[in-house]
Amino acid sequence: MPEVDVMPGNKAVAYGVKLSRVKGIALFPITPQTTIVEYLADFIANGELDAEYIHAEGEHTAMAVAIGLSLSGVRAFTATNSQGLAYMHECVAQAPAYRTPLLMAIANRTLGWFWSIQPDYSDVMPELNLGWIIQFVESNQECLDTVIQLYKIAEDKRVLLPAMLCLDGFYLSYSNERVEIPDQEDVDDFLPPYEPKHAVDPTVSDFAPAAGLPTQLHTTYRRIYEEILHDAKQVIKEVNEEYGKRFGRTYGNGLIEEYRCEDVDAILVTMGSMTTAARRAIDELQGEGHKIGLVRVKTMRPFPSEEFRRLAEEVEAIGVVDRMVLHGTGGGGLAADLKSTLYSMEDRPLMVNFIAGMGGDDISTMDFKKMGERILKAVERGRVEREVEYIEHPFKPVSRLVPFKEKRVIYPGSGGCTGCGASIIIRHLLDVLGPNTVVVDPPNCAGINYSSVVGVPWILANYAATAGYQTGLYRGYKLKGKADKIHVVSFAGDGGTVDIGLQALSGAAERGESIIWICYDNEAYMNTGIQRSGSTPLYARTTTTPAGRFWRGKAERPKNVPLIMAAHGIPYVATASIAFIPDLRRKIKRAAEITSAGKGLAYIHIQAPCPTGWYYPPEKTVEVARLAVLTGAWPLIEIEEGRVKLNIKPKKLKPIKEYLRLQGRFRHLTDEQIEEIQRWVQESWESWLKLDEMGKLPWYR
Amino acid sequence: MSGEEYPFGIKGLVGRGGLLSGRGVGGMYVGDWKVFMPKIDYEKCTRCWLCVAYCPEAALSKGEEGPQLDPRFCKGCGVCANECPVKAIEMVRE
Repeated sequence: MPEVDVMPGNKAVAYGVKLSRVKGIALFPITPQTTIVEYLADFIANGELDAEYIHAEGEHTAMAVAIGLSLSGVRAFTATNSQGLAYMHECVAQAPAYRTPLLMAIANRTLGWFWSIQPDYSDVMPELNLGWIIQFVESNQECLDTVIQLYKIAEDKRVLLPAMLCLDGFYLSYSNERVEIPDQEDVDDFLPPYEPKHAVDPTVSDFAPAAGLPTQLHTTYRRIYEEILHDAKQVIKEVNEEYGKRFGRTYGNGLIEEYRCEDVDAILVTMGSMTTAARRAIDELQGEGHKIGLVRVKTMRPFPSEEFRRLAEEVEAIGVVDRMVLHGTGGGGLAADLKSTLYSMEDRPLMVNFIAGMGGDDISTMDFKKMGERILKAVERGRVEREVEYIEHPFKPVSRLVPFKEKRVIYPGSGGCTGCGASIIIRHLLDVLGPNTVVVDPPNCAGINYSSVVGVPWILANYAATAGYQTGLYRGYKLKGKADKIHVVSFAGDGGTVDIGLQALSGAAERGESIIWICYDNEAYMNTGIQRSGSTPLYARTTTTPAGRFWRGKAERPKNVPLIMAAHGIPYVATASIAFIPDLRRKIKRAAEITSAGKGLAYIHIQAPCPTGWYYPPEKTVEVARLAVLTGAWPLIEIEEGRVKLNIKPKKLKPIKEYLRLQGRFRHLTDEQIEEIQRWVQESWESWLKLDEMGKLPWYR
Repeated sequence: MSGEEYPFGIKGLVGRGGLLSGRGVGGMYVGDWKVFMPKIDYEKCTRCWLCVAYCPEAALSKGEEGPQLDPRFCKGCGVCANECPVKAIEMVRE
């Protein structure tokens, strides 16, 4: 008997992945996708799923890992959205050509320009035309069912293409619904193991997919892939039907789902979760005697053109609700596809395009009813007044800001968590640097919490490109002769520094850009909800390295980024702690002096204890930071022009246990694990002592 | 509507998130977050100003008789009380 539970859409996707016996999962957290991979981590940690779980250091890598997994011949999964999807775009384009039938879940979220974590389809829009199979779901049950179906479709030997499952962020990803979980044996029977004949495996054959083609074959291959995608429609229909027979649920014909379309004059076309509200509007309109039906596009690619041509013959007008705008064309993406599909018809129906729900704006039943009425009016008059209509709602600003008479670099109060360690850092940082400072900030909790209370320019940088933004600003000020007067400083977290941001940072360091890099290290991705980073300490529990029957926290030691930065030969590298404020302020001042003198990049790595993510009471923030220094877990070092100095050298380090026992993230540790951590801390401490004794790093002149 | 009118974001839009407004115009009112509030004993206070340095919200500032609390910005985290070397700060229920 299938189990029934109430769960959010992201969990339903995770269940689908588990039931599909996926063998490799590549991930990088981004809201609102993250809980999908967190649920999967829990499954693996507790032995419910046997799969490789790869914490990539950025989405670009995550997609590449998924392609690699698929090329090796295993069933692969990854998930992302919005900025992450845009960042992996290059790899997304590679996947179809390599014929890798992997699955990517997209918990839709708008793509910056203006940032938001709420959904629209602007993130998928640039990925639509790369050769993937792309489906949009309406409910949490459909999330689970579609995962299983899409693996079957993608791996069908007539298809062998990657597939994307799009669920609306928040509306589905975090909203609870009743979901029926099919039995594993039934799913196993429906979806056999993935055993491709074309896997890259030199022990079997020397096969490898072509990356390049002779010029004359490009057009031919585009045609071939287009035909494969077109033929995939048949597979989608078959799989949908077979799924229905086995599990009792189908979604239209797999391509589109018609709702009350019998004997109607007009139809409304929707996608995703908005359809549920649209159904109620159609019910009301039909109750009032109007002849209008609803069509949901489930499969966006390949586009269900035959279905729409058939429908277009039956109706006089079509209203298309778009959650994506093709800027510069004057309308939405779905409407553009529909128009080009229907153009070859002799007797085309009228079409009105509604742009609605951008950035997660709610589209209510009332809105859909109004849209329905517009279309019916067009039917009545036999013409369309406005081809594209924007459904806009009034905005009432609500401010929690207390105005100040005098100007400050940073004002009191913030949206940060109670007892936030990063908060202490940003206040001292701006206090030392003063008003002529530009903060460049990759997405992190500080950006959300402090950018609204600072009195200096605060530039949101794209995650992997922070040091690039800084470089451009610094060089611009240099051209204007102001480089020595303006501090260009980052306020990056550990993700933005040691993982996704490292490449640009390394480039800027090597080029000798005179900018200040501040890393506030809370030792995990706290903004997305405490996922493992390259800076998470050994055995710490995070939401992607949970402690379960099989996993005991993060298995790896963190990166030593200060020493990596010193390897660039930059003039200033330091670590600091919020427990030692005079030391922290002195180091910021020194960094500012060095960069103002145009000597090169100054790097300061500051530990930022996080009560929310480390699970300790908020009043202990400074106490935890102090213990980190006194136990040797966070050595305070300074490397100026290659001279290494350990700033605080206790005669005897406190046992690491004193630091660990305050924090819930280490509560699961066994005695052996604590010993292992003690060993690691001791080794690292002794290495720094040796470097301190050595005086100067040999590669500095 | 001309492009010049709205160069970055929406003019005059204030509130949470420089992501929207680009620049803050004041302190964020968070006084209603707290359950416990610091009570300062100025007799015991040695004016070492550690509490001011450690306050994550800058709710404490230097005053003549000792640290001054602006309750509008205090979230009641208790870092000041925990760090006070002479235990001159006590967290009391509001």
